[in-house]
Amino acid sequence: MKTSSKTHFLALLAGIVAGVSLMIVFNTAWTRSSSNESCMSCHAHPESDASWKQSYHYNNGSGTMTECAACHLPPKGTVKYAAAKAKIGAKDIWAYVTKDLESIDWDSKGELEHAQTIVYNESCVACHVNLFPEGITDDGITAHLYYEDNVEKLDLQCISCHLDAGHYNPNYKHGTLKDAPKLSGVIYEKAAEVTEFRNFTETVPGSTAAISMIAVPGGEFYIGSPEDEPFRKADEGPRKMVKVSPFFMGEVEVTWNQFWAFYSETMSEGRTPPSVIYANNTREDIDAVSGPTPPFGIPDQGWGMGDRPAITMTHYAAETFCQWLSLKTGRHYRLPTEAEWEYAARGGTDTPYFFEGNPKKFSEKGFLKGIFKPDTTGIDGYVVYALNSSNRSQEPSEVKANPFGLKNMLGNVLEYCSDYYAEDAYANLDEGELDPKGPSEGEEYVVRGGLYNSDASDLRCAARSCTNHEDWLKTDPQNPKSIWWYSDMKGIGFRVVCDVPENIDIK
Amino acid sequence: MANKEINRRDFLQMSGMLGLGIAGASTLLSSCSPKQKPLREAGTYYIPELPDKAIDGKEIKVGVIGCGGRGSGAVKNVFAAADNVKIVALGDTFADRLEKLRANIKENYGQEIPDENCFVGFDSYKNVIDAGVDYVICTAPPVFRPDHFKYATEKGVHSFLEKPIAVDPKGYRTVMATARQAKAKNLVVVCGTQRHHQRPYVQAFEKISQGMIGEITGGNVYWNQGMLWYKNREKGWSDMEWMIRDWVNWKWLSGDHIVEQHVHNIDVFLWMSGLKVAKATGFGARHRRITGDQYDMFSIDFECENGVHFHSMCRQIDGCSNMVAEEVFGTKGSWNSRDHEIKDLQGNVIWKYDKEAEEALFEQHNPYVLEHVDAINHIRKGEGLDEATDCAVSCLAGIMGRESAYTGNTVTWDEMSQSDLDYMPAELKIGPMDMSDYVLKTPGTAK
Repeated sequence: MKTSSKTHFLALLAGIVAGVSLMIVFNTAWTRSSSNESCMSCHAHPESDASWKQSYHYNNGSGTMTECAACHLPPKGTVKYAAAKAKIGAKDIWAYVTKDLESIDWDSKGELEHAQTIVYNESCVACHVNLFPEGITDDGITAHLYYEDNVEKLDLQCISCHLDAGHYNPNYKHGTLKDAPKLSGVIYEKAAEVTEFRNFTETVPGSTAAISMIAVPGGEFYIGSPEDEPFRKADEGPRKMVKVSPFFMGEVEVTWNQFWAFYSETMSEGRTPPSVIYANNTREDIDAVSGPTPPFGIPDQGWGMGDRPAITMTHYAAETFCQWLSLKTGRHYRLPTEAEWEYAARGGTDTPYFFEGNPKKFSEKGFLKGIFKPDTTGIDGYVVYALNSSNRSQEPSEVKANPFGLKNMLGNVLEYCSDYYAEDAYANLDEGELDPKGPSEGEEYVVRGGLYNSDASDLRCAARSCTNHEDWLKTDPQNPKSIWWYSDMKGIGFRVVCDVPENIDIK
Repeated sequence: MANKEINRRDFLQMSGMLGLGIAGASTLLSSCSPKQKPLREAGTYYIPELPDKAIDGKEIKVGVIGCGGRGSGAVKNVFAAADNVKIVALGDTFADRLEKLRANIKENYGQEIPDENCFVGFDSYKNVIDAGVDYVICTAPPVFRPDHFKYATEKGVHSFLEKPIAVDPKGYRTVMATARQAKAKNLVVVCGTQRHHQRPYVQAFEKISQGMIGEITGGNVYWNQGMLWYKNREKGWSDMEWMIRDWVNWKWLSGDHIVEQHVHNIDVFLWMSGLKVAKATGFGARHRRITGDQYDMFSIDFECENGVHFHSMCRQIDGCSNMVAEEVFGTKGSWNSRDHEIKDLQGNVIWKYDKEAEEALFEQHNPYVLEHVDAINHIRKGEGLDEATDCAVSCLAGIMGRESAYTGNTVTWDEMSQSDLDYMPAELKIGPMDMSDYVLKTPGTAK
C-alpha cells in the first residue's frame, strides 16, 4: 500500500510537471504568434509596416507602440480572441501558401469596406477608454457623443472616422475642407454657342469648367432585360418598348474640376439650415443658387481629383449642380431619366452590355468561380469594376467609349437618375411610351451603372439599383445631417443631360 | 492512473460541497427577500453613504466662484459638513458681493481671506482655481458653469457644481467631455441636485432599483411656486451689470427657470427611472414677470427612448396653486415624493420613509450639507465621484423642454445634443449690450 501511494504521488507529480511545461510551451507559442515579428514574417507588405510606423499608433508623443494584434484581433483574454486568432491564422497560412503575394492589392485593403473586416472596434475601445481627452474640440465632443449614443443602433466603427489611425495615409485627412481646391486654366467668358444638334463642349462663364456633351439621337429601345438574361433581377421587367427624344449627355461623369467650379461659386456657410437652402433654390426669381456646405472630411477619399468623377454628393447636390449650370449657361441641364440613362448606356445595342460577351463569363458569381477566375478579356478595356479598379474610381481616359461616344456608363461610379426608384416601375409604363418618367413619389432615387467594386453581373445595362439615404449618412455626426454630402457612400456620382434648345432643328 | 483516481475522488468531494453550498446560499437568499425582479442589478448603481459628518482628514482648501446667495449658502453647508475646512480664495464679478461673503466668513467662522486671494471680474475663476485650492465651489450664474468646471478639472481640482451645470447644448457638451476627464483624474464632482443626497429620496431610489414598483411606465414632475426675486435696474448699471445682478430672469444666464430650477424634478424622474429623454413637446408663456426675457410657465410632454412619457410643469407666479414634487409610475406600483411613499396598484402604501426612525439614527438631514459630506469623504478617501454626467443629461432634457416651448416645435435629443445653440456672448465685459438679442421668444409663425 505504502509503495503504491508513493508511486501514485510520483505519478501525480510527474503529471503536474508535464502539464505545467506543456502550458508554458503552449503559452509562449500562443503569445509569440501574436507578436509583430510573427505577423510580419508572413505578411509581406512592407508598405503597411512603414505606414504603421508613421501612424499615431507608432509615431506619437507618448513614445508607446500599438502592436498589429492590438487592432487586428479582438481584445486579449476574450473567447472571441482565441476564435479570431485561429480563424485568421488559418486564413493567412492558406493565403501565404496558395497566393502570389505580389498580386495582392494592399492599398485597397486599407479602404474602409475591407478595413472594418480586419479591425476590431472592441479592441479600439479596449485601449481608448476615454473618448473625451483633454484638449478635445467641440466638434470632437459632438462626434464622440454621437458615437456613444448610436454605436449599437447604427453599428458605428471608430475607423469610420479614424481610418488612418493605424496606417498613415498622406491623402486621408480627417478634417474639414475649408475652400475648394484652386483650379488653374482658362476662365471662360461665355457659354458655348450651340446652333445644331451635334457634340459640343459647354463652357461655364466665369469658371474654368468645360463639359464635353454628346448629341444622343432619339430612338426607341427595349427597357429592362429579357427573362433569360443571366443574373436578371425581378425589377428589370417586364421589358417594354419605349421611345426617347434626342438629348445631349455628358461624355463622362461630372468631374471634380467641374464640381469644384460649382462649389467655389455657390458654397453655403457651414451648417446653413436645409430650410434656408430649399427656400432660396425654389424661388421663382432665383438668380444665384445656394450650393453645398463644406464637406465633413475630404470627399475625394485621397484618390485624386482633376478628371476623376466627383463623388459622395447627394442627389440634391447633383440636382443643384444642374440648376447652377442652367442658370450659368441659359440652357436647361438636368439629371437623366432612367429611360434616357438606359437608352444612352445601350448605345443602340440590346445585349447585356454594349460590348460583346456573356455576363456568366465575366462574373465572379457562380459554380467554381471561387477557384477558377473569370475571364476578363473583352470587358477589361470598357469598364472600371471589381477586377481592374484597385477598389477606387479611375479617370475616364482608362476606358473606351460606347457606340454613342459615352464613357463609363457602366462601372467606375454609380450615377443618379432623376426618377424615384420603384421595383415595379416598368409595369406602369405604356408600350411605346415617349420619354417615360418613373413614379411621381418615392423615398429613394434610381442609381445606375454599377461602380468600381461591382461584379460584372451588376454592370449589365439593365441592372437597377437605388440610393440608401439613411445608411449612406450613418456616421454623419451633424444634426440635421448634411443634405449635400454622404458620409458613408463613396462610389456615387452623376452625369448631366441637356435638353435640346427649341431653336435647333433636329434632322 | 493513480493521480486520476485521486483527482476524481477529490473532485467528487469538492463538487458535492460546492453543490451543497450553492443550494444553501440560494435558499438563504431567497428566504429573506420577496420575489422581485430588480429594475437595476445590485452593484450597478450608486447609493451614497450619508453619515452626519465627513471623516477627519487633511485640511481641505476651498475656493468659491460666485459669492451670491447660493455661494454663501454652500460655504455654510461645507463648514457643517466637515472639520478642518478652510476657505482660501473668493471670486466674483462684483466686488460688493465678494466683500459681503468675505465679511460673513470672518464673522461666523473666524477665517480671514487675504486681499491677494480675492479676485474680481469675469476671469476671477481662474485666479481662484490657481490659488492652491483642493475643492472649488462653483456657484456663479449657470451659463458660466461649464467653463469653470473645465478649468478646475484641467488643474486637477475637485468641484461642487451648483445646478444647472449647462444652459445650452454647447455647455452640455463641454460638461460631458470634462466629466470624463475628471473621471480619468479620479476627481470628485458633486452637483447641486441635492435630492441625490436627501435621505428619503435615496431610500426610494434603492427601493425602485430593487424593483418595488416594477418596470417604469410614466411620471409627473412639478415645480409650481410663487414669483422669484428680481432686481430693477439701478442708476449706473450697464446692461451687462444689470443682467448679471438680475440673472434669474435672463435666459442666457439662467437657462430660464425650467432649466435653472425645475431641472431638479426632471432630474429626479430620470434618476429614478434610468430612462433617457428622446423628444420634448411643450409650451410656455409669460404673464407676470417684471424683468428679463424669460417665461414664467412651462408645460412639457417628455418622451423617453422606449416610448414612456412623463409630464413636467413649472410656474413662478404668485397667487396660484403650488406644488414641488415628483411621481414615478411602474407596472407594480408608484412612488411620490410628496409623502415619500410607495403604493401598490390598489393604492395600499407598501413602503414609507420612516422619518422618526431616521431621526433617531442621524442628526444631519439637510441634503445641502450631506452633498458636501459625500464629496469630502470621497476626497479624503482618494475616491473619484462623477455626478456631472447625469446632471448634464438632465440639464439637456430641461433645455429641450425650453427650446420646444420657445419654438413651438417638437425637439429631439439628437438635434439638441448636437445643436450649435450657444448662449455665451461673444465678448464678456461690463458695459452696454445689444439688448435686441435679449427679448421674449414667440413660438410658431402665425401672427
